[in-house]
Amino acid sequence: MDFNFSGEQKMLKESARSFLERECPKTLVREMEKDEKGYSPALWRKMADLGWMGIVFPEKYGGSEGDFLDLLVLLEEMGRACLTGPFFSTVVLGGLAILEAGKESQKKEFLTQIASGGKFLTLAHTEPATTQYDPYLITVKAQAERNDYLIDGIKLFVPDAHVANYLICVARTKGEEREKGGITLFLVDVQSPGIQWDLLKTVARDKQCEVIFHKTKVPQENLLGGLNEGGAILERLLQKAAVAKCAEMIGGAQFVLDMCVSYAKEREQFGRPIGTFQAVQHHCANMLIDIEGGRYITYKAAWMLSQSIPCTMQVAAAKAWVSEAYKRVVSLGHQVMAGTGYMEEHDMPLYSRRAKAAEFAYGGANFYRKVVAKEIGL
Amino acid sequence: MDFGYTKEEEGFRERLGKFLDKELTEEIARQNWEDKGVGPEAREFSRKLAANGFLGMSWPKEYGGKGLSPTYDFILLDELGKRWGAHIPLDIGYTMVGHTIFHRGSEELQREFLPKIIRGEIEFCLGYTEPNAGSDLASMKIRAVEDGDDYIINGQKTFNTEAHYAECHWLAARTDFSPNIPKHKGISLFIVDMDSPGITIRPLWTMSGERTNEVFYEDVRVPKKRMVGEKNKGFYYMMEAIDSERNHVFTPARLLPLLKDLIRYVRETEFQGKRLAEDSLIQEQLAGAAIELEVAQVIAEHSRWMESHRVPMTYEPEITKIVVSELEQRLVDTGMQILGLYSQLEEGSKRAPLQGRIEWYFLHSFMTTIGAGTSEVGRNVIAQRGLGLPRS
Repeated sequence: MDFNFSGEQKMLKESARSFLERECPKTLVREMEKDEKGYSPALWRKMADLGWMGIVFPEKYGGSEGDFLDLLVLLEEMGRACLTGPFFSTVVLGGLAILEAGKESQKKEFLTQIASGGKFLTLAHTEPATTQYDPYLITVKAQAERNDYLIDGIKLFVPDAHVANYLICVARTKGEEREKGGITLFLVDVQSPGIQWDLLKTVARDKQCEVIFHKTKVPQENLLGGLNEGGAILERLLQKAAVAKCAEMIGGAQFVLDMCVSYAKEREQFGRPIGTFQAVQHHCANMLIDIEGGRYITYKAAWMLSQSIPCTMQVAAAKAWVSEAYKRVVSLGHQVMAGTGYMEEHDMPLYSRRAKAAEFAYGGANFYRKVVAKEIGL
Repeated sequence: MDFGYTKEEEGFRERLGKFLDKELTEEIARQNWEDKGVGPEAREFSRKLAANGFLGMSWPKEYGGKGLSPTYDFILLDELGKRWGAHIPLDIGYTMVGHTIFHRGSEELQREFLPKIIRGEIEFCLGYTEPNAGSDLASMKIRAVEDGDDYIINGQKTFNTEAHYAECHWLAARTDFSPNIPKHKGISLFIVDMDSPGITIRPLWTMSGERTNEVFYEDVRVPKKRMVGEKNKGFYYMMEAIDSERNHVFTPARLLPLLKDLIRYVRETEFQGKRLAEDSLIQEQLAGAAIELEVAQVIAEHSRWMESHRVPMTYEPEITKIVVSELEQRLVDTGMQILGLYSQLEEGSKRAPLQGRIEWYFLHSFMTTIGAGTSEVGRNVIAQRGLGLPRS
């Protein structure tokens, strides 16, 4: 057993933190919340030059051969910095899907372009009918027509579709609408005719979209993985996405705690720092307890995923716990920061708004409790 | 990072599991967990554990141990816990004071006590709390005064749970009475034979039926060589040992049998022709408990890992304690919600489900967040030592 990061991971963590503190100040984050694209091309370029986009890809595709844990180290720092933009959608959703299921030619084309920072991808997965999260509720249909498929239907909560070059569309090619079988993944060029997107206005002011496919033609060679075999690919991808999201959330939660602790040491009321009051101390202790539990279960699940050890239970525990833990951390954070943290210009709302968006991404606590109920034989 | 166990550790776990399945009876497990007092069965079990090589893995070779990592003792705790055996049979000696004897005691004390501890033959009783020294432990008043080669001790301890079956009292007593020193700087530790003249033990019965005790000292003579480490350093030794104690006492695995019992119950019990296991509210509650247990497990693994690799611990075992103890209360409550009216039936009653275990657990669970320090004091420690917040 070893809870330490490797020497390289420690260096990566430190350099990512100082880079993001310098290059992604909160002024930029706020600016990007209002920006149409939602990211800074100059910053994106610099991140690509650091090799971040290719961190988990093989060298032959322009990557640096890191593993899933290395990616998590980066994501934790990104969550801490509230980095905006299509890193998660491009690298985690797009990159890992292609790495997992792509043909050699697809890997060569797409991974190389992701690693160089030249292309954006995302996953078009959930739908208007997803009123309760269910990864296999897929009604968007893809029908074969000679050498092509025609995709029809609406995808919702698609992150960064407004800037993506390619969408990985999860479509039904067979079976009933909640069946895991009969799902196929398609790599769709956004330039294809019949695609329309709209930005949604979200609490986190991140760029989530509605994407409408209207008889969108996708050539057969753009299948990602086998026909009707998308369910299994999706399952592994969403496990990784859930754990990756947890890492981002833990980074954010840790920043909130750090901010509260330094505030509690400085802010004086009744003639002494508020951090001397046990009520405030206990709030901070509770935040730390939540964060530590969240961090270790996240990294344990990530380690198991990277070792290909079955870990449905640990992934579910991680996302269920972190979803609720981050929520508790921000509400305690607001309690410690009080009026000052309620101001729009303060950093606190950046985190509480993001915590809410992340809570439901790739399944919230209710969903994962159902997963666990099944795991324990109920 | 690596969250796995080594092949040797897994091999140990497997051998141990087979041994426990055969030897650890319900009677023995309950003598321990329910603090019924370690009887002859548990004593015998303790000696067998040692004789089969399951005790002492992490202890120094010169005293009969194997000199390996503390991980082995944690595996032992996990495997016992999974089988209702919440701790090692003679656990005060083995998991608490033995470490302090090894790190701080004289060679004479080490030679006298460590081999017996490792052979599972001796038990100690913690003598810390007093009527007016609970959370504020350093304000203890019991006095030890030098007299020739001895100390003469007078005063009272309370909530000393193992006093009626332990061979030795692990006593903290005041040895510097100067009013000008901070109160934690005048305390020393002693090993006192429980049958020393002048010691009186009176039972105190807890609401869940465990026996704990008051211990009175009246002119009890204790040889100076029975002082552990240096004079007036006792409180430091106690605090130094507390992290390891938390790691050894607050074992998430001990909640597993309760969760498993509840899962079995909802799978076997019907309401209106439908198994409770199909009720979505019940599924949600039990799954929530299973998730918390999974998180508690990795939290405990983290602080154990720190201890095993001699990474300085500050607040981490405190987190383990708080998480495990508060989870125990929530799990018990979940169980009672599920059992409803039946949850109130105690062991031996007609129609008691799950042997009435849940009723006992309910009563017992009030102790878990106060024993060995309250959750509130724990949170102060986390805030002050872990986060550097100023003392109030």
